[in-house]
Amino acid sequence: MNEIREIADLFDNILKEKRIEKYTYTLVKSEKQEINAENGEFKLMRTVFNNYASIKVFKDNKMGSASGNDLSKEALERLAEDGLGAAQSSPEDPCHDIAPDQGKEVFNQGIYEPDMDKFIERIQECLDTIKKEFPSVLVMLAMGSYDRNHWISRNTNGTEFEDFSGQYNFVIQFSASDNGENSGINGAGVSVDNLDKPFMELGGIRKSLENTVKSVHPKSLEGKFEGTVIFTPDAAQQFLSMLMGNYMSDSVIIDGTSLWLDKVGQQVVSDKLTVSKKPFDERIVCGERGTQDGFRSEEVTLIDKGVLKTHGIGLYAANKTGRRVTKNTGWDLVVESGDKSVSEIIKSVDKGLIMSSFSGGEPGTNGEFSGVAKNSFLVENGEIKYAVSETMVNGNLGEIFKNIRAVSKEQVCDGNSVIPYIAVDGVVISGK
Amino acid sequence: MLTDIFEKEKALFEDGAQTVLRAQENRNRAVRILKGNITANSRNESRGISARVGKNGLFGFASIAECSEEAAKKVLKAASDNVKLMARHTKNAGIVLPPSYGTGTVPLNRKLVDAEQKRIIDVCRQLDDYIAKKYPDLESRMVAYTEDSQDRIVYSSDAYDGHLLTPRCYIYVTMSLKTKEGTPVELFKALGGFGCFEDNFSDLEQYYPELETLYKRVKDKAEGIYAEAGYKTVVLGGMMGGMLAHEAVGHTVEADLVMGGSVAGPNLGKKVASDLVNLTDFAHTYKGELAPLPVYLDDEGIKAEDAVLIKDGILTGYMNSRETAEKFGMKPAGNARGWAFSDEPLIRMRNTCILPGTSTVEELIESVDDGYYLIESGNGQADLTGEFMFGVTCGYEIKNGKLGRALLDTTVSGVAFEMLKTVDMVSNEVEWSSSGFCGKKQRMAVGMGGPHMRCKIMIGGR
Repeated sequence: MNEIREIADLFDNILKEKRIEKYTYTLVKSEKQEINAENGEFKLMRTVFNNYASIKVFKDNKMGSASGNDLSKEALERLAEDGLGAAQSSPEDPCHDIAPDQGKEVFNQGIYEPDMDKFIERIQECLDTIKKEFPSVLVMLAMGSYDRNHWISRNTNGTEFEDFSGQYNFVIQFSASDNGENSGINGAGVSVDNLDKPFMELGGIRKSLENTVKSVHPKSLEGKFEGTVIFTPDAAQQFLSMLMGNYMSDSVIIDGTSLWLDKVGQQVVSDKLTVSKKPFDERIVCGERGTQDGFRSEEVTLIDKGVLKTHGIGLYAANKTGRRVTKNTGWDLVVESGDKSVSEIIKSVDKGLIMSSFSGGEPGTNGEFSGVAKNSFLVENGEIKYAVSETMVNGNLGEIFKNIRAVSKEQVCDGNSVIPYIAVDGVVISGK
Repeated sequence: MLTDIFEKEKALFEDGAQTVLRAQENRNRAVRILKGNITANSRNESRGISARVGKNGLFGFASIAECSEEAAKKVLKAASDNVKLMARHTKNAGIVLPPSYGTGTVPLNRKLVDAEQKRIIDVCRQLDDYIAKKYPDLESRMVAYTEDSQDRIVYSSDAYDGHLLTPRCYIYVTMSLKTKEGTPVELFKALGGFGCFEDNFSDLEQYYPELETLYKRVKDKAEGIYAEAGYKTVVLGGMMGGMLAHEAVGHTVEADLVMGGSVAGPNLGKKVASDLVNLTDFAHTYKGELAPLPVYLDDEGIKAEDAVLIKDGILTGYMNSRETAEKFGMKPAGNARGWAFSDEPLIRMRNTCILPGTSTVEELIESVDDGYYLIESGNGQADLTGEFMFGVTCGYEIKNGKLGRALLDTTVSGVAFEMLKTVDMVSNEVEWSSSGFCGKKQRMAVGMGGPHMRCKIMIGGR
């Protein structure tokens, strides 16, 4: 029995009875089985059965939405009324809309029947390997969850998407200690659809552990200088996320504060940078299949060799500003690799940092960023010198991506993204 | 409000285990008006029931998106089965059963009143219209209403039961202007607090002075300068003091992070701050009045009390769950909380506050020859080592005891137990905020507060 399809049929009837003529909704049934280990030992097993129902109602050029986690008939009736009530309360705005008919399709992704015993064995294996190979590391939290989702999305333009997906997610948070000193928290994680390989060999887990062990006795930097920062894939992802939020997202396009408002087709960053969303890439686990606006998700290149190809905006922002909608509202980020190895990039740096994580304030729309370089190392005359503490980095998002020194050949794939190391010049680095 | 039908399910609790059954509903309302356009207009209710069973230091947790007797039975069985599954994979037993600190029932604390979406939209549009007319030179503006309420019914095997309501609602107002170079700057202010919609927004005029201050500050910021990077003498405003209490100190004294190697571990009973610094995580009452996010009962059935963390500069305690309290020889104070029905309780802060001193704000500012006055923070993070950073969205230079030019966005950082030793003046009032979420596996609504403080801190800049 396809229970969720029957619930969707019921919901269609409710909406018809209430004479709601334009709508889009998504119904989800999800299951999570999560194993938690604290301080290296199994501690908690958590099982979550949840539902989700969301609807957008369009009435006389007005839009309202409602959501909840109860899929009973009574709850769906309330949801329909709440969505309609919200729409009727809203002012007219014809820019709210849903995608045209995308047809009907069923998606099957990842692993739908988990092997929990094998999953627990892989987690235990990872904890055992850390104890053996990284004895100074304490794993504060290791969390493995198997997440299974079955959802159906329909709209009154005729689209129906149904998705069966399941994946294993594994996250660890750890620190290293020696002689009463502590490295501070570091972490890593991966999403996979099979358990063929040990977690230690996936994503950036081993590298993060190695860096943490080297970070137990950091030194403070003296003074201030403008230098090169080599972003690890984790840090590169943080900065790309800020770049996209500040220059390419719905809100800054709608209110016109984006500094890249009229730059589509123009060179906005270094030609070394190509950024895409690739939900169908085989390295991406359970990529997006349908967008929040009801489009079939597509592969989208946002920046091609430094040229802005499109903003990353949804249908409302596109209609509001007369721009092209981006048919991808997921993450699924892939950054093309470069032509230099990480070691070659390090050798090319006179003075700067390798930075694994940025702990900073949210940059304003002007792109100015300021924060602490975490899990980071000083690089001087082409060599890694030592781990740093109390070191701040300052600069401008748009400017540093214009000043890309190199993109690495190596990429890290964690199941959700594929990212290389990216080295940028012109960052102000200051110590105590 | 949830209907309490679960007391009889206590008969199903397993002997020799600590069990908590929790039915919960989280309610969210959202309206966002960006430059006059409604870009969000939504209502959400999420409810269900969960059980946590603890035995021999292992825990099983299960939840279902349904509030019924049948669901209660299912989660109790599933949680017990999960404990057994864990026991098959580990030989390490923890504390068999942490002691009980009393039983009884915590009374219902207030009513929950829902506002119609039309009413919320009308008020947000009224505020947006006011801002558009009053401040026509703004480059952009946003009025964003957000409400999140928890309705929890807790039944425990050997501690307190209770039915508690925690509503809070805010309107975030963001104002943007461009600098003369054409780059945008913005500032936001959260209006509102604990309580339901009408408790906070039946009278919008009460907020007009705060909007005027916000506008003045964003005007100043449009002509602002970059801070000079380095180790500076600063006056932290009350909101920054609250961020310091939460991020820089609070997280390091959560007992689960102490077990994970935080700097607070070897510093218990030691001097970690100047004599002027006192820090408490208040449960529900501050100076005889409601704390910004009152917590009366946690999700392990512990009746909430204040947790004194720093007294006269000495680190005196941690925030605990029942299990960590037993491990550290402390008494749990009601810090184990989950955000959604499907979240297991974790050690979380409630209303974490650095207590006031004796100086006035004016005295603090007048005492600084060359430094900064840092007023508002956007976000913050801290590490096990106590190394912290806060984003600073609003601040001014101080030159010869007087406020100077405004600052563009920057960040401050430091190491908590070193930085707190530099605090040499503390103002005589406290500013509270409760609009934020703390992230630690799950999100959690938290309150934080602090006085103005003079101290030395690293500031980022050009």
